[in-house]
Amino acid sequence: MWVWVQILISSLSLGSFYALVALGFSLILGITQAFNLAHGDLIILSGYLAFALWKFYQVPFFWTLPLCLLAMPLVLLPLQMLLRQVKEPYGLNTLVVTFGIALLLQNAMLVVFSADYRLIRPDLPHYTFPELPLTFTLNQATLLVLSLAATGLVHLVLRRTFLGKALRATIEDREAAQLAGINVKQMGLVAFGLGGLLIGLAGPLYGQNMYLYPAAGTEATLIAIVITIFAGLGRSRGILLGGWLLGLAESVAALTLGIRWRELVSAAVLLILLYFKPEGISSAREG
Amino acid sequence: MRLIKSGCCGLSRFVILLGCCLFPLIWPAPGAAAGQEIVIGEINPLSGHLAKHGAEIHEGVLYAVEEANSRGGLGGYPLRLISRDDQSKPEVAINQAQNLIHREKVVGLLGGYVDSLVGPISELAAKYRVPYVASASLQRSLTARKNPYFFRVSRLDGLVRPLCQFTAQAMKAKRVAILHTATPGSAEFAASVKSCLEKAGVDVPLLEKFRPGCPDFSVFLLKVRQAKVDVLISGGFYADNLILVRQMQEGPLGLRAFVAPWGVAYQSFVAEMGRGAEGLFGTCAWNPGITLPGTERVSQTFVEGFRQRFGQPPNTTTMHGYTSARALLAAIDAVLTTGVKPTGEAISQALRQLDLSLPMERLKFDEYGDPRFYQQVVVQIQGRQMVPVYPLERATGQVDESLARR
Repeated sequence: MWVWVQILISSLSLGSFYALVALGFSLILGITQAFNLAHGDLIILSGYLAFALWKFYQVPFFWTLPLCLLAMPLVLLPLQMLLRQVKEPYGLNTLVVTFGIALLLQNAMLVVFSADYRLIRPDLPHYTFPELPLTFTLNQATLLVLSLAATGLVHLVLRRTFLGKALRATIEDREAAQLAGINVKQMGLVAFGLGGLLIGLAGPLYGQNMYLYPAAGTEATLIAIVITIFAGLGRSRGILLGGWLLGLAESVAALTLGIRWRELVSAAVLLILLYFKPEGISSAREG
Repeated sequence: MRLIKSGCCGLSRFVILLGCCLFPLIWPAPGAAAGQEIVIGEINPLSGHLAKHGAEIHEGVLYAVEEANSRGGLGGYPLRLISRDDQSKPEVAINQAQNLIHREKVVGLLGGYVDSLVGPISELAAKYRVPYVASASLQRSLTARKNPYFFRVSRLDGLVRPLCQFTAQAMKAKRVAILHTATPGSAEFAASVKSCLEKAGVDVPLLEKFRPGCPDFSVFLLKVRQAKVDVLISGGFYADNLILVRQMQEGPLGLRAFVAPWGVAYQSFVAEMGRGAEGLFGTCAWNPGITLPGTERVSQTFVEGFRQRFGQPPNTTTMHGYTSARALLAAIDAVLTTGVKPTGEAISQALRQLDLSLPMERLKFDEYGDPRFYQQVVVQIQGRQMVPVYPLERATGQVDESLARR
């Protein structure tokens, strides 16, 4: 029985990590319909920023989180200004443009940081429960708390503020929102700003839970896309639930079938979900 | 009249355009036309997920070429190295190899990391009769077919045998878990180690495969704990071991040792993992201070020269690149000395007759193109240093079991 409790702990922390990686992507895509293929590379950039602060300026790991959180919107806003110039078909064209930006970022990071693998290693303590075969680490707790906090805050903004109302209206029907007097271009700016904050949060955690290297962004973007499909666009709670479900599916597959089945089982779960609930797990089916 | 006129002009324009497109292909490539330099090609992953290792091999190759040029080249001819990036993708490796062979007219090929990249290039080498000395290749099937134009400076047996003997005899393990990546070389490595251990009476209750880039090994480590194994052998790459070792620190596993052939025996790994690297076991064919007996001075000269050139010390991967380049250059030199034109066939013949004493190994190829005397040593990280502990004739220290426990 304790094995399953340990699996649950691992799944929740892994899923929380996935959710943090995906939250910004989902928000930007939902509000602006910009398919940001450079999302993962921006997370890696944020990770490198955190690594530089931690390694060369001895900034404690937890302090790199707010610093990167504040720095990344400054990177995202010029991106938003660039994507505003993109013509129709907007979705496809932003995909192409951001793909190019991803390549630029990867090569820039290769030149600046080299291809060496970097790890942020804050040596966080872990706890073993007396007489129980369970281990719980501060890292796992951090991921859980931050994912809940980020999801909760995004949810509060979207549900409890006028700004959130305007953002939701833009997600649901951009043209109708525009007709209702909502400045959708400003909403785009807000989306990228919020997305930047979330990317800034995800970067240091990526460097601490995975490892940083210039081409790592592709993997992160893929995680973001999969979780967004799981959850549905702009659904913050769905993102967290989707992350946890994906983490659980992978962990159970690893335990019962073997670690090599992780990705296959996740892909199967995704396909089944797309078949039965193509709008995402937390969305009501249209019509 | 108008139709004929425009047709005429159109045809002329078309012909001119066609000519412009074909011109670069029919004009001889610079290297071949000049006839005053020896051109060799190198293909490595300089971007993508294997970029770190590809860059290290490239530096080793480049250093060997610059070293040769500083001595006046080969047979009085300067060497020109053309480096290409395969982006860690087999299809790009093939394209780059074809470019080097047909357009740049290289006399030999070097480089390569992982067999999925090396394998396709070896096929092209055979097809177009251009000798290829791979820097890092293990899969047995690549040499089993006796490709006369394919050689490599590493072999699987040189890794499996010492590792298996260390685990069974030195550590006296009773139960071993093996984790490996889903790559051809690593899968073959795992199967070979398992077979060898089982012949030595060691149980292998857990053998698992994973895709490189796996973000989480916590479930696997849970199974390791449940299986009550003595030793965990990881056939993962450097980056995978970063996560695995970090997660191993999160709870007691009951392990007496963790051994990883790829990734632990690097100063950069020790620097990245800090205290977490203490006591871990790795394997290497060479490292600064760990060299073939009798080559200490040459090895030290190499380390100092490399550090001066690149601003950082070399590692075992760099040395693989350097060794492969030294082999090819020695073969080309041998051909030039006889006054024969350095064709693919002549160079391959010369490679077969090589017998070089290098810091990494005594390099002599067998009939399959494998190095006869390649052998890795097992090292343990003690006090942030790599201490050779096995085989005993190469050991400079002893196994510290208390440090190794996880």
